[in-house]
Amino acid sequence: MIEVKNLTFSYGKEKQALHGLDFTVDDGEIFGFLGPNGSGKSTTQKILTGILNGHGGFVSLFGQEVTSARTREFFQKIGVLFEFPYLYTNLSAIDNLNYFASFYPERQVRDVNELLEQLEFKKDFLKKPVSSYSKGMRQRVSMARALISNPRLLFLDEPTSGLDPSGAVLFRKIIEEERRKGTTVFLTTHNMVDADLLCDRVAFISNGNIVALDTPRKLKEKNSSHQTVIDYLYRGKREEKTVEAAELEEGFFFPHDEILSIHSQEPTLEDMFIQYTGRGLS
Amino acid sequence: MWKGFTHLLKKDLKMMLSGKFFLLALFSLVLYSCYINLVYVNLEQEDYQVYLFDPHGASARQDAPSGQNEHVTDVGSRQELENACADGVSIGIDLSAGTPEIYMLSSGTQTADHYRTEWGKAVLTKIMDEKAVLSETTDHEVEIIGAFDKEQKSRREITCEFLFFELSAVGFLGLASILFKEKQMGVIRVHGILPVHKAAFILSKLCVFLLSDLFFAILLTFINIGFGEGLAILPGILAQAGILSLVMALVGFLCAVWLPDFKQFSLFYLVLAVFITTPVFLAGQTGVSWDWIIFHPMYHLFTAMKSAYFGVATTSFPFYSICAGTTALLFYIAYRVLAREMTKEG
Repeated sequence: MIEVKNLTFSYGKEKQALHGLDFTVDDGEIFGFLGPNGSGKSTTQKILTGILNGHGGFVSLFGQEVTSARTREFFQKIGVLFEFPYLYTNLSAIDNLNYFASFYPERQVRDVNELLEQLEFKKDFLKKPVSSYSKGMRQRVSMARALISNPRLLFLDEPTSGLDPSGAVLFRKIIEEERRKGTTVFLTTHNMVDADLLCDRVAFISNGNIVALDTPRKLKEKNSSHQTVIDYLYRGKREEKTVEAAELEEGFFFPHDEILSIHSQEPTLEDMFIQYTGRGLS
Repeated sequence: MWKGFTHLLKKDLKMMLSGKFFLLALFSLVLYSCYINLVYVNLEQEDYQVYLFDPHGASARQDAPSGQNEHVTDVGSRQELENACADGVSIGIDLSAGTPEIYMLSSGTQTADHYRTEWGKAVLTKIMDEKAVLSETTDHEVEIIGAFDKEQKSRREITCEFLFFELSAVGFLGLASILFKEKQMGVIRVHGILPVHKAAFILSKLCVFLLSDLFFAILLTFINIGFGEGLAILPGILAQAGILSLVMALVGFLCAVWLPDFKQFSLFYLVLAVFITTPVFLAGQTGVSWDWIIFHPMYHLFTAMKSAYFGVATTSFPFYSICAGTTALLFYIAYRVLAREMTKEG
């Protein structure tokens, strides 16, 4: 679906934003693109969505080089959720969605009401102007806008930003449903939970370079300490024991009255990111 | 890519309506029309009165007895002539020495004094048997342009000025305010990934404002000049209004995309009004004379519109070529600026 080879881009002569990125995204895959602010992830997404010109290297979407692919058909096949909910605040959710849907062929467009229902949008607000919506409601309408054209390739930038926990769960469910339908998702995020739960593969980008690319599980496994920590009570005292993987394989016994908890010492995706890049995600 | 143009057009029309732009235009139309019909046409705009001291009857006036000509009043002495011209407006002609001597007090502006002199000579020429008496001393041949009465001339002049002001100042603000709203809402960026050509985004706005400006021009002309008179000159007015509307809308578009907030835009608007539009009004409507004004593009747009209002067709090929070239250049710059705006974040 997406093929990127030696992608470079610079803002002016001295500000090199991308230093030769290489990655591919398969059909129906959810690909996570993780990086701190200013790392080059937004620039990459803009190049992929065809709104930023002047890159170096090779970028292909739907089997066509992106610079020659910026046709009406190309934009009909992609959906983009921006980091911020860009909507006409003087129009209602329905009017916004009808307006944006009007640029796509009718056969391709989803039913606005069904879509909003799926996104659990409050019915009372359907005809009220967007200016009266909360951030979470605006994000729902924005997501509906990205999905309204049934895109084959979906670019999501911080999709769960501004949502409460139940909203975030709902969005993850919807993204999973899109994947089941065969939609390819390019997910740009700071949110490690989203990336861990949703992505088939993730790429860590730092200072315009991809420093790691693999499935979240493999990234964590590669860097696992292979230890387990057991919290237990023995003779009324709380104790902690660290057990190596080899010990677990052989089987072991230790004196205790009650096991309180067992923690695998697997690193989180964020730990991995910091380890690879030396920077946090904020 | 152009299929979505009609949807953009509808949306821009809605935006314009919701932005109360029509109310502003309607208010302007009522205000201008009331001023023209209730105030301006009733203003005393008498011609310069000419006082003639001709003790030897050198002018051999055909309209004698004295005082019968609406422009000329005979006086009996030099002193009486000087007293009559003490207002700084009237023109005195002393024929006591046989050859005409113009006597007048300066009005304060060189151009107005020049017009007064020419007017005095022209009036005297008209009433004399031998035009040659004055031909040696007249710099220019005085020519009556058009066959409009004084009221119609006034109406055309002031209507032209109001239309020029409306298109160059108010129309410019209208488009900019809509674009600022879209910029603040961030929706410009969404249009970067929609299956519609970026140029259509600019064109739809231009179309909406062009139509609204032309509609305004039609109403203003018919209300203040009259249907029959207005209809005869309407094609020329619409052509000039169209050019001015497009140029100003594109300038408004560029400013709104370029400048980060409305405060900076207001400052720019002030600069535009003070340094760009004001000299045109001063040069076109008052006695102020600047040689450099011919290099001011707005001055040419203003004079072209004025010509259209007086039924004089501007057929100059260079004028239309420069207008077309400027519009195309502004459109190209607007397109590039829009494309850059679409890539911005936050």
